[in-house]
Amino acid sequence: MDDRSFVAAQDFLLASKTFWTKRLYPEIRQTYEDAAEKAASKPQDPADVAALLDGDTLYRYFSWLERHLQRFKYAGRYGLVPYHDERRAELSASLRNTSAELAPDLEMPNYYQRVDIHQHPGGVWSDELDGYVYERGARSTTPLMGAAHADLHHRFTELVASRGEPENILDMGCGFGKSTHPFCRKFPAAQVEAIDLSGPCVSLGAHNAGEAPNVRFRQMNAYDTDYDDNSFDLVTSTMVIHELPPTEMKQFFAEAARVLAPGGRMAHLDFYAIDGPFARFIHYGHGRRNNEPFMEPLAEMDMQASLAELGFTNIEVIPFQEAEGLSLTSHDAWRFPWTVIYAEKAVD
Amino acid sequence: MRISDTLIEDRPEQTFFEDPALDRAFGVVMALATEVYVQRNRMRALERQLEVAGVIENGDLDREPSDEERLAEAEDRDAFVEGLMINLLGKQQAKGAS
Repeated sequence: MDDRSFVAAQDFLLASKTFWTKRLYPEIRQTYEDAAEKAASKPQDPADVAALLDGDTLYRYFSWLERHLQRFKYAGRYGLVPYHDERRAELSASLRNTSAELAPDLEMPNYYQRVDIHQHPGGVWSDELDGYVYERGARSTTPLMGAAHADLHHRFTELVASRGEPENILDMGCGFGKSTHPFCRKFPAAQVEAIDLSGPCVSLGAHNAGEAPNVRFRQMNAYDTDYDDNSFDLVTSTMVIHELPPTEMKQFFAEAARVLAPGGRMAHLDFYAIDGPFARFIHYGHGRRNNEPFMEPLAEMDMQASLAELGFTNIEVIPFQEAEGLSLTSHDAWRFPWTVIYAEKAVD
Repeated sequence: MRISDTLIEDRPEQTFFEDPALDRAFGVVMALATEVYVQRNRMRALERQLEVAGVIENGDLDREPSDEERLAEAEDRDAFVEGLMINLLGKQQAKGAS
């Protein structure tokens, strides 16, 4: 597969997803609102919304396209997986002598093996090139943002920085380092520990970090780390929690509480604050169609109570504007329910 | 690798239409649409370059290809067909809910 054909196909798929985002989504929303107005009682939950949209032809195409445009993106003839596979020798060589600390004997959890998240064949961990595949795929995760996708991470880092300057940072579930590098640059005096289950991802993260002196990439389970108690004054994650089943989700927060020093801060960028049954219905459907089955348990979690139970204080759920000029309340286009979950570990 | 390498035997693909035949057929349509766009993009780039270089004259691309040229295209043609037809199998390529 030549580079031009790959890029042309991926551009076509992204343009199709953009049409889906800006044209199909508002139509579906309007269909729902019209049906809700005529309904005997106001829809209360996603099941009520499903009943109103059941059988709607446009909703069927909306669902089909959400599922299959992603499949084509990863596994079609011009997909990310075959494209990178054809460049295996060169890409594989670039990851040799990685400075990442790998753990080849680390057992991958069942939930991680059972579902290939994002419809990435084999998941983000089973092939040495998975970091590269994930990195390229992440460029077009949110069509609404276009080329401004990197802006999301900078905005999150700025939010964290506006509340203080950390010295020891743990980035849980760092992937290939897209979330990590902005923290390294924003806080050059801090030591950043970046951990992820995926060996291929942390290898690429270390490769992309170059000679950066203040970051270490390690293959490790975020909810079962080897760090001492009270090691960090900032624990962060970006788009990680929704990939965890409920039990592991609780362990994840408990681990954050353990490794944070008293008074230390926790800031996670994820999908949580969802306004109304229609948005919830769309989001849960996205989780199912995109192979991310734990979107729903995260969204249904009682965050305040769960975090308070673990000894967190000043707990905040902050709706997050992912790019300049986007409205948090507009229904003109589909968008993720970006949310910052922020808390501090209580000082005894 | 071939894209059929990613098919998972025990994971039927999700369906959204009353007749799953439509789910699969629309997959063929979108695969074809992707291919059409790739070709269109390439052809437009090529024509721009040829025009600038003054290599071809009007009508050069319209003549029937030789048997030799058609044979040389066989491998590419087979991969094209697989990209279309694999949608008919109705199997996941990444493990998820069915």
